[in-house]
Amino acid sequence: MSLEPATTPADAARARLEMVERIRMNRERIAIDASTRLPVLAFFGSSVFWLIVGSVFALLASVKLHSPHFLDAQSWLTFGRVRPVHLNIVAYGWAAMAGVGALLWLMARLTRAELQYPRVLLVSCAIWNFAVAGGVIAILAGYSNSIEYLEFPAWVPPLLTVAYALVGLWTMIMFRDRREHHVYVSQWYLIAAAFWFPWLYTAVNMLLVIHPVLGVTQGTITWWYGHNVLGLWFTPIGLATVYYLLPKVLGRPIHSYYLSIVGFWSLALFYNWAGAHHLVGGPIPAWLVTTSVVGSMMMLIPVATTAINHHFTMVGNFRRLKYSPTLRFIVFGAMCYTLVSVQGSLESMRSINVPTHFTHFVVAHAHLGLYGFFSMVMFGGIYYIMPRLTGWEWASARLIQVHFWGTAAGIIIYFVPLTWGGLMQGLMLVNPKVAFIDIVKYTIPYLWIRTGSGILMTGGHTAFAVLFVMNLLHLGEKRDEPMLLAEPDEIEAGAEEPMLVGVGGEGI
Amino acid sequence: MSTTYVVLGISALMFGATAVLALAWALRKGQLENFQRGATSIFDADEPVGRPTDFFPGGRPR
Repeated sequence: MSLEPATTPADAARARLEMVERIRMNRERIAIDASTRLPVLAFFGSSVFWLIVGSVFALLASVKLHSPHFLDAQSWLTFGRVRPVHLNIVAYGWAAMAGVGALLWLMARLTRAELQYPRVLLVSCAIWNFAVAGGVIAILAGYSNSIEYLEFPAWVPPLLTVAYALVGLWTMIMFRDRREHHVYVSQWYLIAAAFWFPWLYTAVNMLLVIHPVLGVTQGTITWWYGHNVLGLWFTPIGLATVYYLLPKVLGRPIHSYYLSIVGFWSLALFYNWAGAHHLVGGPIPAWLVTTSVVGSMMMLIPVATTAINHHFTMVGNFRRLKYSPTLRFIVFGAMCYTLVSVQGSLESMRSINVPTHFTHFVVAHAHLGLYGFFSMVMFGGIYYIMPRLTGWEWASARLIQVHFWGTAAGIIIYFVPLTWGGLMQGLMLVNPKVAFIDIVKYTIPYLWIRTGSGILMTGGHTAFAVLFVMNLLHLGEKRDEPMLLAEPDEIEAGAEEPMLVGVGGEGI
Repeated sequence: MSTTYVVLGISALMFGATAVLALAWALRKGQLENFQRGATSIFDADEPVGRPTDFFPGGRPR
């Protein structure tokens, strides 16, 4: 768009036409963002609340690993309860709810359709919060059913299913109402997540919690779920966010759109097969494990396409990391995605699985995935989305810096030492000459470092929560610079002047 | 137990089947043609290619 003085009447007319078009698109974008305001803010607000609660339980669980007598007088504060509470809060409270907020906003943006009946999604959000809170209290009271990732007792999954199903349904309705003809790659990921996850969650809960199957089959189903919840829910939402925001923040289309499409379809075809690699060496049919090892290695294809794409879109723009909080978080997250995925594929191989499984190595890997990748991308997404919903700029650049460096340094200090310590732990575990107690003692320093990194990350989360509340309540300095929303003067001019008529009058 | 494996196998196949059906739909609708237009579909006159859209508070150039 040219703002140069027009030289001919035709140029002037073209400039006005462009202006009209721009104002129309600006209006449309603001209306679309506004239609998602209530549910997205409700889901983001809930997610930030659960992030803080989840961090507290994370620290409790981490401290108990190196100082087992810390707060052990009450049964509800013992490790066996605190640890699943941490996992379920950060998975279903923080990560999933932040993911739904991003999903709803992104779908509306990508389909260019306003969200219809947004208040119904507030019901979904309320049910969701009630289910997570109830489930957490139940686990603390000793009613965990001790199936990893599905510890909530049997009355919780039906509630969560209703909440997911509403989100899934609303996603499909937005897709049906779409006004943008092209289905952008992010939209494919979001539809996949919204469609597959409620299905997966229901099927698995039927088989494990409502009418439990017997024996080792439970393990197979648990890990089919445990892996797919990452691959068919968190990963697609995270990647959708990166594929939308990376080009949008830079103002530059994705490097190879073709590769991004290949990446999506290969993920859709391969990820579902990878779950049984968690059971290498377990008492299940060997073909099942072999199939999943193959599926895991095939995942290198979508990972490579994504890594190439993100890197080459960024090339020449790395200095922009200095200016954009969103970009910092999502680029950090995208790098972690590449790292964690390649690591995951390698871990599925039997030779690498033997020394690493059942050690802190896997714990570090899981945190690199759900925190380094997914949570960091969600932080970036929330930094982009929130001001566009509240109409208020973030209160403090310094607090954003505290958040970024606390969490980025935190996850690096978490991941690197724990990976090394876990590998050594595993190599000692497979060596019959090393006494078990020596291995336990060996890991203690690494667990202390882990608690330290947890404090760093929690500090970052606190800065984030403060920023979030300030933004929600319109606290802090009012910025007079043209914000992220619109150029208000032009918008008002557009409202008063019937510009299209004017342009027509000039003979276009 | 074998029934469960069959159920699990069918579920896994159905996941794959939905992906294949969706891919067929995308092909039929011409979603996989003209990648250049697809890549730029998230930009418009208001937020065109070439205009960055995110800055630290107070850091946006005027």
